[in-house]
Amino acid sequence: MAEQYGFYYDAERCIQCHACELACKSIHGLEPGIHWRKVIEFWTGEFPAVTRTFISLSCLHCAEPACEKACLPRAITKRAEDGIVVVDKEKCNGCGDCYTACPYGVPQFGTDGIMQKCDFCLERGKKPACTEPCPANALSYGTIEELAKLASEKGAEKLAGDTVPSLFIRNRRKAPFTAENLRVG
Amino acid sequence: MSKQADSGEKMIPTFCSLCGPTMGCGLNCYVKDGRLVRVEGMKESPGNKGKLCPRAFASMQWLYSPQRLKYPLKRTGKKGEGKFEKISWDEALDIIAEKLLEQKEKYGPESLAILSPARRSYSDYLYRFLVVHGSPNYGHSGLCAIQRAFGFAYTLGTPMLMPDYERADLIIIWGANPVYSGTPQGAIDRILNAKDRGARLIVIKPQIQPDAAKADIWMPVRPGTDGALVLAMLNVVINEELYDAEFIEKWCYGFDRLVPHIQKYTPEWAEPITGLPAAQIREVARLYATTRAACINAGNGFDQAVDSNNAVRAVAILMAITGHIDRPGGNIAPTMNPDMPRVKSVHLRERYTQEMVDRLVGPEIPTCFQPFIEGTSSAYYHCLNSVLTEKPYPIRAVIAPGTQPTVITRGTKRVIEALEKLEFFVVIDVMQNASMPWADVVIPVATMYECDHPFEGGMGNWLMARNQVVERMGDYKSDYEFWLDLAVRMGYGEDFWHGSIEECMNYQLENFGITMEELRTYPNGIVFDNVPPIFEKYERMFSLRSPRLSRAPYLPQGKVAIYNTTFEENGFNPLPEWVEPPESPTGTPELLNKYPLIFSDSHTSEVYNAGWLRNVPYLREIQPDPLLHINPETAKKRGIEDGDWVIVESPHGSMKVKAKYFPGISPDVVMGLQGWWQGCDELGKPGYPLLDGGANTNSMYSTDPDRAFDPLVTAMPKQTLVEVRKATDKQVDRGKK
Repeated sequence: MAEQYGFYYDAERCIQCHACELACKSIHGLEPGIHWRKVIEFWTGEFPAVTRTFISLSCLHCAEPACEKACLPRAITKRAEDGIVVVDKEKCNGCGDCYTACPYGVPQFGTDGIMQKCDFCLERGKKPACTEPCPANALSYGTIEELAKLASEKGAEKLAGDTVPSLFIRNRRKAPFTAENLRVG
Repeated sequence: MSKQADSGEKMIPTFCSLCGPTMGCGLNCYVKDGRLVRVEGMKESPGNKGKLCPRAFASMQWLYSPQRLKYPLKRTGKKGEGKFEKISWDEALDIIAEKLLEQKEKYGPESLAILSPARRSYSDYLYRFLVVHGSPNYGHSGLCAIQRAFGFAYTLGTPMLMPDYERADLIIIWGANPVYSGTPQGAIDRILNAKDRGARLIVIKPQIQPDAAKADIWMPVRPGTDGALVLAMLNVVINEELYDAEFIEKWCYGFDRLVPHIQKYTPEWAEPITGLPAAQIREVARLYATTRAACINAGNGFDQAVDSNNAVRAVAILMAITGHIDRPGGNIAPTMNPDMPRVKSVHLRERYTQEMVDRLVGPEIPTCFQPFIEGTSSAYYHCLNSVLTEKPYPIRAVIAPGTQPTVITRGTKRVIEALEKLEFFVVIDVMQNASMPWADVVIPVATMYECDHPFEGGMGNWLMARNQVVERMGDYKSDYEFWLDLAVRMGYGEDFWHGSIEECMNYQLENFGITMEELRTYPNGIVFDNVPPIFEKYERMFSLRSPRLSRAPYLPQGKVAIYNTTFEENGFNPLPEWVEPPESPTGTPELLNKYPLIFSDSHTSEVYNAGWLRNVPYLREIQPDPLLHINPETAKKRGIEDGDWVIVESPHGSMKVKAKYFPGISPDVVMGLQGWWQGCDELGKPGYPLLDGGANTNSMYSTDPDRAFDPLVTAMPKQTLVEVRKATDKQVDRGKK
């Protein structure tokens, strides 16, 4: 099998500082309102026994991407060599079917009406800009094999889902990381 | 990299100074066609090691903001009206120099006050200018850092004790925020590493901010009652004999006087004041006292309560009697690398005289303790208030460099009255700001990206020259050039290198045997080794001399001052006591009918510093509106939905903000964020009025001369009582303009 790239996220360390989110925005020059990566939060319990959990979320570069299947003009493809899901701007007609299909609300539509999302920083040699600045060292990337090894050391697990997302999460406190909670937009 | 060559991008290393006062964060800046297009963290810089915060990534939008000032301005309309005309630099400097010299002649040099920004690399230039001019009135906040430094220095002999996170088995973050302040500088990473290896984390603050979200124990203390909590913890430690008897015997003075004094401050006494169960207070006191390697990060919350000096002294005593001072995993005095030379200060501290100290218009700490570590200081608010009271004399000219009196100190209404009456007001900033409408002259300064000076080297083990990244976008001087040029214009050139920035920089670098241009040849600066910490340096720590003119030691007994004879001799309480906030449920229960909720604020958030940066689109979209954090239960009782605009009313003012359902706050407490006034043109987000109906938390608090100032360290409180109600449709519409 060819390689599959993905992300590793440590929910025990993330502090919702938004550095990953803004590194992504500024390096790709995204317009306001567009998020290729977004840090979201959710709460459980009632005062004073309350927990607050964060997750930094981008395209999950799923092994079986629902967006690809939904895309009639075949603008969305999964690259054979690294499993990165990309969109061909020339072919995209902006219909939004990918957004409906994606369980995580990843596809974004700016003023040009064309779908855009995380491309794993292909231009930077597949070294996602979001991972470098994290002051809490909560976000990293690699091949699925590398991440699986890291996950077993750290007690993290691969996120389960019909689309087989390429994301490992360390979640010691068992926050409810379910598809309805995990939405980029 | 080839990609950069192809894209025509050029990389220029420099360092960030968007916030302070930590060491700057190293930045690699990418410039294309003369424009800054993006920044990345510099891996070689020892502070941030390649890490950055969201502000740095959004700083291109700050640099190119349509709200940047373009050239010097002179006011043409009435004060507060905001009408100006463009003037030349010569004219601007002439107006200021003539006015200051005329007032010096007529009223004496002390009639000038310079208001302090947060500690900046140009702070000592402000001091130098004041000293040469002859004024002691450096208008320091009265609510940040100096309050803690003073209490620690006169109790433990050392102004700053660092929490030793690396070796700690228990970490207490108390009224501090290592997430919103200096995030990339490593404190939060060290705390999380400690947690990952099994250390416990206790966070004491009114809200579940991101650090509290990681805590093993969160103590939702009521705003401004930290002092009562510390006293109750001392009570537990003493009565359960959990203290370090040997350390007390050898290194503490007056423990026997504390024992009877502390008896009344039981956990049961503290429960209704702090809102914390007595059992939890006991549990945490025991945990801290019985964990050998335990440290406390006591933060800015301690500086902003009328009980400040008591709370700080009490926490210092708690650290000492439990044996957590200067030991592995405790609170430690830094060990400096003896091989790293020191930057030569531009402050002229050696020229202070008793006569100057005695002329302070509103001393931040009593004159008998001045100058303190930064120099002499009057409280920021007192400088402005003297314009109205004329006691002991009125300040006649105020210069505000990188600071906004109308949003950053308490009592906005009174501050505006003072600015209306003030004879001469100069505002210095990179951007249009909230105090500018009252300015006689506005001075536009360059951002860090538009300057080739100063250098980083004051705070840590890193020496690096600033490099200019882009051409200046307007008719600017740097903050440093402005003060040199003004000094020359006033006839102070002898003391200001005759206006030469190059000579000024080289003077400061003399001890390193290097010039600024030589330093510039090191693209990532020079990093000096950190040395391993030396522990238990008690002999040295407890004999340190104070910066008072007499140079008397901080600790006359050479021991921790549990019973403080220095304070007693000068008419202050020798042992820490409890003082209620000006308005609180236990202090003023008669107000609860009308104002049943406790109100406070934070002054920094994940994207904003104090009153800045709301005009930056990438940051504004993360935090678009001024919010009131409110427990959903409290909101529902008042028919308030998540996201509703609400009116918050205190005995002193009101504001209109958006309710945000926030489960991580007590149902008795609501909290806002300081510093809202600015609009964001690019996103069509409005600005807000400074007074009633706006979103300015500083208009909400007491400035009662008898109740709103800590007698030792000023420490203006940010606690009051409020009621919250849904805004009417009419009030909401007005906000949309």
